[in-house]
Parts: sequence; C-alpha cells; structure tokens
Amino acid sequence: MRYALAFVPLALGIALTTVGVVAGDPREVVVGYSFAWLWFGLGLLASGIALALVVSRAGRRRAVLAARAEGEAAQRENQARFLSRLDHELKNPLTAIRAGLSNLDAGDPTVESIDGQVLRLSRLITDLRKLAELRSVTLDLAPVDLSELATEVVDALGDTPEHAARAVTLGFPRAPRPLPAVRGDYDLLFLALYNLVSNSMKYSAASDTIEVRGSEGDGTVTLEIADTGRGIPSDEIARVWEELSRGRGALDVAGSGLGLPFVKAVIERHGGTVNLESREREGTLVRVTLPV
Amino acid sequence: MTAPRPRVLLVDDEDAIRDNLGPFLERSGFAVSTAADGEQALESFARDKPDLVVLDVLMPRLDGREVLRRLRASEQWTPVVLLTQVGESYERAAALEEGADDYLNKPFDPQELVARIRAILRRTAAGVPSLAGTTKLASGILSIDRMARRTWLAGAEITLTPKAFSLLEYLMTHPDEVISRDRLLSSVWGFDFPVTSRAVDHRVAELRKALGDDSGDPVWLETVQGLGYRFVERVERA
Repeated sequence: MRYALAFVPLALGIALTTVGVVAGDPREVVVGYSFAWLWFGLGLLASGIALALVVSRAGRRRAVLAARAEGEAAQRENQARFLSRLDHELKNPLTAIRAGLSNLDAGDPTVESIDGQVLRLSRLITDLRKLAELRSVTLDLAPVDLSELATEVVDALGDTPEHAARAVTLGFPRAPRPLPAVRGDYDLLFLALYNLVSNSMKYSAASDTIEVRGSEGDGTVTLEIADTGRGIPSDEIARVWEELSRGRGALDVAGSGLGLPFVKAVIERHGGTVNLESREREGTLVRVTLPV
Repeated sequence: MTAPRPRVLLVDDEDAIRDNLGPFLERSGFAVSTAADGEQALESFARDKPDLVVLDVLMPRLDGREVLRRLRASEQWTPVVLLTQVGESYERAAALEEGADDYLNKPFDPQELVARIRAILRRTAAGVPSLAGTTKLASGILSIDRMARRTWLAGAEITLTPKAFSLLEYLMTHPDEVISRDRLLSSVWGFDFPVTSRAVDHRVAELRKALGDDSGDPVWLETVQGLGYRFVERVERA
C-alpha cells in the first residue's frame, strides 16, 4: 500500500502530460543552468536518494525488531495462559485423588507409593502456577543487601541435611566500599539465589569448590555463582531456561526442571539479566546482573 | 451420650471431590451434607443449619464468593473455609476481607482441611466471636484496619511493610492457634517451598521489632519451638 503511494506523483505527471499531449499544448519551457552548479545538483539528488534508502532500511529494521518483540511478548503471554489453564484443569482431579487416597489404608505400600506420586504432581502444579503468577505478581520492593542475602542463603542451605557438609566461599567486596543495595523483593531474590546455589551443590561433589561472588558495575551489581562441578553439555546450555527441561547428565538428581526458569523470571521481573556458562566436567558459572 | 457430631456442608461442583472428600470428613468425625453449586448451597444451608461450610470458589451459576457475600449480608456468621482456585495473593486477601474464616489452595492435603475445620470449631465452641469479615481488630494497645492496611500502637500509627502487615493480619485473625511456617508461607506468601521458612522468621523478626515485642516474653507473637508461631493475646473487634 505504502509502495503504491510512492507512485502517486508519477501517475499525476503521466496524467497531466497525456492531457497536454492530447490537447496539443504548444508551450515550451527552456531551463538555463550554469554548468558549474551541475555537480551540486547531482550531488544533492544522489544524497537525497541515499538518505531515502537509509531511512527506509532503518525503518524496516525497526519494524522487524518491533514485530519480533511483539511476537515474543505474545508467546510469553500464550505460555502464561497455557500454564494457568493447565494448573486449573489439574487442580480438581488432584484434589479428588488426594481425598480418595486418604479414605484408604495409609499403611498399604501401594497407597503410600501412589500418595508419594500424587504429592509430586501437586508440587509440580504449584511450581508451574508460581511461575505463571510471577509474571503478574506485585513485587514487595525494599533495599536488599546482596551480601547479607547470600549469607542467609548459604546458612539456609546448611539447615538441609543433604547440603549440611558443603562449604561455599563468599566473595563480597568491603573496600573501597561494600556493594550498594538493590531495590528488590527480598523473598523472591532469596528463592532465586537459593535455587542457584542449591543447583551448584546438587551437581557437584563434596570435593568441588563453590563460590558466590559479588561485584559492582556501572549502575549495576553482578552476582556470580560458580562451581567446579559436573557442568552442562554445550548442546544443552541453551535449553536450561526452558520449563521442565532436564539435562541428560542431570537425570540422577531429583529436580523439577523449573528451578532455572523460576530464577530467570525473578531476575527479569527485577529488570536484571541472567546468563549461564558451562563446560562439561569443568563446572558452571551463572551470572546475575541487577540494576542498582 | 456423646456430643453430636459437628455438621459440615461441603460445596463443590466436582462430583469426584464431593464423593471422595465427603466420606473422609465423615470418617474424621463430622456429619457431612453436600451441595453441587451455589444455589443448592444456600438452600441446603437454610435447611440444615450446618456448623461450618467448606466452599469451593469457582462454581457454575452462583460462585463461592457470591454465596459467602450473601450469607454475610444476611448476618449469617457460620464459619466458612474457602477452597480457592487461583493462588494469587489478591484472591487470598479478598477471601478474608469478604468474611471467610480460612482458605486452602487446591490441591490440598485433606488432613490439613480437617485440622483447619477443627481449629475454627474449637474457637467457635470457646465462644470466641468470629473475626471473619471484621475490618478493624484490636489486641491490647495494638490495632489494625484490614481494609486500609494500617496499624496503630497505643493510638500512634506505625508503618509496616505490606508483607509484614499481611503476616500480622493472618496471625491476628487466627488467635491462639499454632501456625506452622509452611502454612504461613502458603497462606501469606503464596509459596509452597518449605525451604523458604527462613523468610517467615525474617518477617516475624521485622514485625516484632516494629511492635516492640520481646521474643523472650512476647505480648503478641510467640514462637512455638519446632512448630511455628502463635498470636497469644486476645483479639477483639475494634
């Protein structure tokens, strides 16, 4: 449509010329032009055409980017809607199954086993719901000291029997000044960091090193969670942020495949970014950057 | 002669839930009647005069919240436990504001439902007036306005963070009941991760500091070792 518009002046010219020729308009226009100024005229014309080209190309690029962003937003929204529908549809059957099971003999090993599996499904549903909710929940914003948060996360992990013996080295600057506080939701950031450090513990051995480091950038604070654990195969790294994805090398460790998507959602809600670098058998580094 | 069994009206549009949860509640010592939608619920309520109603929120025709609103509008203060469908916090806040005594997210542990029902019936039997649907609550020199989300200590207003206020509100509307960290997490925070129970301690410490409550000799918030927290002081409508 817009292309057609560009030909309107030409069509108008053709029409007027046709009328003139048919009517036998006898008038003539003779334009005198100084040869010295010819170069200026040609240059102006060429620059005009070049400018039009550049502008139109930039416009097209912007349009492509806008369309892509729109597409991604629509996809995220679709996914959130799908998650909340799935959650909704699974909730009633699970409630009924749990009620039904509680009418049976709890000591029966079959009942016990089914009960365990139903519990697992319930947890999955809860986690999925949390993920869907995260995109719309109101953040409870307050200044958060990340070095304090990291200490609490490591202490909390120490409370769980499977992680009690694991040592984590914390590296937060004191000089020339400690990290500035970020504005964030303490509980959500706690959960995000808890997930990351607990991943490092789950996918490494007792002899491995785990470090949590903080550093300050230009208007940002960066947290690095690094381990010398088993790492992730290079062809699986791109998929770690996808819901329910579990790596081949992770199947022996219990997990829902929802931890990292949760982390990503939390960090993005805070206007931050998170990325992951990993080499198989060498270890993994997760870098979280948050605006101050 | 034994005491008559408390009568519970179970309202849910899913057959499978009524058919399984009903017998479980019977076995847990309640006389159960059921209704499949909001209109049936109101009819059954008028006929059977139950001691407590377990009410699903999302139902065809008349949903649970409308049923609750109509009951409260007609001055019926029978305790109601809402089975919420949406886990979002506004739903939980709205549930309490509209006069529910408690709420549980589906899918829930049936034992947990029984525990909640018993706690509410115990309060009612002890003659503690239901705090459901009450906007202003007071406990000694502490008072809160649940609608305006404001808190006063001895007449002077104090500022609480939104989470601390929600926590105080939940504890205050369940006085003298030991509430586990997990339950606080799922009710106030909407999380079901047991690992974050430290978040609860963190907020309770913040709340105690704001209220000037000594954890060693608490006026309001008592730590029940290994179990959770309890609001120990008497709570009244203000």
